Amino acid sequence: MIKISELEKIYRTEEVETVALNKLSFEVKEGEFVAVMGPSGCGKSTLLNILGMLDDPDAGSFLFNGIEVAHFNERKRADLRKHNIGFVFQSFNLIDELTVFENVELPLIYTGVKAADRKKRVEAVLDKVQIMHRRNHYPQQLSGGQQQRVAVARAVVNNPKLILADEPTGNLDSSNGNEVMQMLTDLNEQGTTIIMVTHSEHDSRYSHRIIRMLDGQTVTENILV
Amino acid sequence: MIRNYLKVALRNLWRNKTFSLINIIGLATGLCCFILIALYVLDELSYDRFYKNSDRIYRISSDIRFGGAETKYPFTSDMMGQTLKKDYPQVEQYTRIYNSNGSKLLKKGTQFITETRVAHADSTFFDVFSLPAIAGNAHTALYEPNTVVITETTARKYFGNVNNAIGKIIETDDNGKTLYKVTAVIKDIPSNSHFNFDFIFSMKNVNYQWGQYGSHNFHTYLLLKPGITPEAFKKNFDQYTDQYVLPEAKAYLQITSMDEFQQSGNKLEYSLTPLTGIHLYSNRPFELSPGGNIQYVYIFSAVAIFILLIACINFMNLTTARSANRAKEVGVRKVLGTERKNLITQFLSESILTAFISCILAILLAFAIMPLFNSISGKTMSALHIFTPAIIPVLVLLPFAVGLLAGSYPAFFLSSFRPIEVLKGRLSSGRSNGSLRSALVIFQFATSIVLIAGTIIIYRQLHYIQTKNLGYNKDQLLLIENGYALQNKLEAFKQDMLQQPGVVSGTISSYLPIPSSRSDNIFSGEQVIDAKNGFSMQEWVVDYDYLKTLGIELIKGRNFSRDFGTDSNAVILNEATAKTLGYTDPVGQHIYKSGMGPGSAASYTIIGVVKNFHFESLKRDIGMVGLFLGRSTGFVSFKMNAANAPAILKYAEKKWKTYAPEMPFSYQFLDAAFNNVYRSEQRVAKIAITFSVLAILIACLGLFGLATYMAEQRTKEIGIRKVLGASVGNVVTMLSKDFLKLVTIAFCIAAPLAWWAMHNWLQDFAYRINISWWIFGIAGVLALSIALFTISFQAIKAAVANPVAALRSE
Ligand SMILES: Nc1ncnc2c1ncn2[C@@H]1O[C@H](COP(=O)(O)OP(=O)(O)O)[C@@H](O)[C@H]1O
Ligand SMILES: [Mg+2]
Repeated sequence: MIKISELEKIYRTEEVETVALNKLSFEVKEGEFVAVMGPSGCGKSTLLNILGMLDDPDAGSFLFNGIEVAHFNERKRADLRKHNIGFVFQSFNLIDELTVFENVELPLIYTGVKAADRKKRVEAVLDKVQIMHRRNHYPQQLSGGQQQRVAVARAVVNNPKLILADEPTGNLDSSNGNEVMQMLTDLNEQGTTIIMVTHSEHDSRYSHRIIRMLDGQTVTENILV
Repeated sequence: MIRNYLKVALRNLWRNKTFSLINIIGLATGLCCFILIALYVLDELSYDRFYKNSDRIYRISSDIRFGGAETKYPFTSDMMGQTLKKDYPQVEQYTRIYNSNGSKLLKKGTQFITETRVAHADSTFFDVFSLPAIAGNAHTALYEPNTVVITETTARKYFGNVNNAIGKIIETDDNGKTLYKVTAVIKDIPSNSHFNFDFIFSMKNVNYQWGQYGSHNFHTYLLLKPGITPEAFKKNFDQYTDQYVLPEAKAYLQITSMDEFQQSGNKLEYSLTPLTGIHLYSNRPFELSPGGNIQYVYIFSAVAIFILLIACINFMNLTTARSANRAKEVGVRKVLGTERKNLITQFLSESILTAFISCILAILLAFAIMPLFNSISGKTMSALHIFTPAIIPVLVLLPFAVGLLAGSYPAFFLSSFRPIEVLKGRLSSGRSNGSLRSALVIFQFATSIVLIAGTIIIYRQLHYIQTKNLGYNKDQLLLIENGYALQNKLEAFKQDMLQQPGVVSGTISSYLPIPSSRSDNIFSGEQVIDAKNGFSMQEWVVDYDYLKTLGIELIKGRNFSRDFGTDSNAVILNEATAKTLGYTDPVGQHIYKSGMGPGSAASYTIIGVVKNFHFESLKRDIGMVGLFLGRSTGFVSFKMNAANAPAILKYAEKKWKTYAPEMPFSYQFLDAAFNNVYRSEQRVAKIAITFSVLAILIACLGLFGLATYMAEQRTKEIGIRKVLGASVGNVVTMLSKDFLKLVTIAFCIAAPLAWWAMHNWLQDFAYRINISWWIFGIAGVLALSIALFTISFQAIKAAVANPVAALRSE
């Protein structure tokens, strides 16, 4: 599903040049659950942003479902992204001014789903993450675990083929963390490809394979299963 | 302590340069507009208040209808003033002003020059109007005939200095040649006076059939004794009319009482106009100066207050909006133990300081703009007038008030937060007071829309006036003034001019459809003239080529012709008169002009009827006018081809100088003279557009600030939305939608308001445009586009930003 080779990303500020990704190459097959690990600042988030087409690489190739997307313009990337990829962040990134329902509904609005349809799908997914009873609450009225469940619901409401999760349990206690990991595992079992950045060895064990990074390069790949 | 607060305040202003700048510029512009308009309004209100007895001086006005439409004159008969003084002890003094055609030729050295600020006045003039003399005794100066009082500036212009002037002789062209002796020099009459003369000649030199009660040609002023109210004194006018006017009228008309006169639909009514009300309220034809309009004073005052409000609102709006960004700062300070009191002081000193900086900038701006503003408004105000007792308190108190108001929300609201919540970011972006902010935006845009719509309507009305079919052709018509100066060579001059290539035709007449000579008389279709069949009609003396030169269309009968020896007893009427007479075919019928005593009416044969033409301002209906063949030499007018105009002008001047070397050659163009009639409207249009633009500018500054703030507040939200698939368009729409909703509401409030205001304004014009709906459409769309444009800057900037950056900021 994803094949990157020799991917490079360099951040230039006035004084320094940071090589965030240094000729990085690997492949992820459809239906896989991959964990990405490595010390802080090694380029994990940068990698995820590029895989999520939020950012473009400076060099190298990025095949998504066999299509070269490294040089796609903003519009094409956005189009590909909104139909195929869901995101889960460490800090949830829910919109404070919108209710739980409205937050989850957003991706459907942007892909042009009809209102009646949206309602059904949002309710179905809220049911699945067991947050239906809180549908009219605002994010700040929820606990961290609940907020992350809403975020997961929002990531999957469009039935994306790929979910990118950047330290999804980073802000959660272990029981809430396990709950979220279980949800991701369930999704994976239903066929969704998942790439997850994590610091936790515990969480990484939910995955099929671990990619370890250092200074923008892969060091090892452990196959678990 | 204070110094420390100010230091921190200044540093904060500097740190938020964009915000500070928008804030300061906005408030300064608003204040500057306010200052300028306030000066304008104060000047308008100050007219004629500088006389010692201003509050006791009244001008007698007369409302007269005699057949046809009512006319409101600022005139009385020559006898009225002295008669009232004789009969009523309430009258302390009276005086009259006479300025027949408003200009004279005066000899300076060997050359005659045209002086326009001239009048004749009674010797009592200076008893009524306390204009101080700097040489001679004004109170006795005009007692003798052939005397003249001049102003200081005029004395310098003609005689070098003031003391030299007394006893000097000034030659005028009155009756061919009349000499006047300078008997006093007065200080220049202040510009805020409804009359402004350089020369005041003795009334005794006016060539007039003295002793009449029926002919109204004099501006008469009464100085009433203290305690006498005009309402009470007015009651005497009926008695006066019965006692003096009626007996005289009986000589011309078959009437027995004033009641009968009135029952026939006629009117003769006198009223007292307070001196201090003449400039703003009177506005009759033949006023001594064009005058202002109280409506404009109200409108401009409203505009000034609105602009100031908008600016203040913006200031508060932005200050409050920014305060949410400072919630964190407050939290930190409180954790560090700053007392609430100190925080409040800090916030307040910041906003008051900003307001004061704006105020100083506004004053500097006002000084810089004053010359421009003077040229737009036609005034000669000095920016130094800012420092008058009426404005100073505003300038001192306003920054305090605005600063306090603007600063108090953040000061009291933020400083009351519990620090933990603020630091946890629980304070949601200041949307809590969003409805107040919405109301403010609505208010600003409603004001802007009213101003835009108003400006469009004023411009359309002026355009309408300029392009309206006037019944004559005002283009390419050269008017050479003072034709009588050429005396018996005038005809030769006209013939010379007609030989010139490009001169189409020429006519000699003092009567033109612009402010120029006027005379009216009582006419009738019946030989015996009474109150029912008589009417007052303009009596214009013209020559054979008048119709052709002015392009006035003859719709019945014929023009005056040299082939008919009898045309000296012929008349050409306008449609309005023909309609009053009621003949199906008026040509060949007769009209009669009233004379002294029964059976003395002169008879004229109607030889033609011309299409109605607008000979007065479009503010008035077309009245009755009859054209008579004769000699009146005020103007020689020529219709020309545009291409030849410069050569023709040069030739005309050269020829003039050969015929009358000592007489001034002066000319105007009919279309320009026509436009002059609407100068005050044109000024209003210019002022209106200037302040609309400024109001919109200030509103936009505010909107820009708010949009910046909103976009900043919502960076993260925008980032999230983009990650979830929002396009740039989605984001821009989202950010703009709220504002656009507000502008739409503003439109709904503004449209009826603007309609109402402009509808009232248009009532001034007898001939006016309809207010069409699309004007509001344009105003709304314009305001909307401007708002959209302002917002889109920030919205697009926020929308195209990489969402990764927004989400990274953890
Ligand atoms: N927008 C940016 N500008 C400059 N440097 C950046 C930017 N984003 C990331 N970096 C740098 O790139 C490197 C990789 O960052 P990141 O991918 O966020 O690491 P990780 O998620 O593994 O902690 C870091 O050194 C970081 O400082
Ligand atoms: Mg990271």
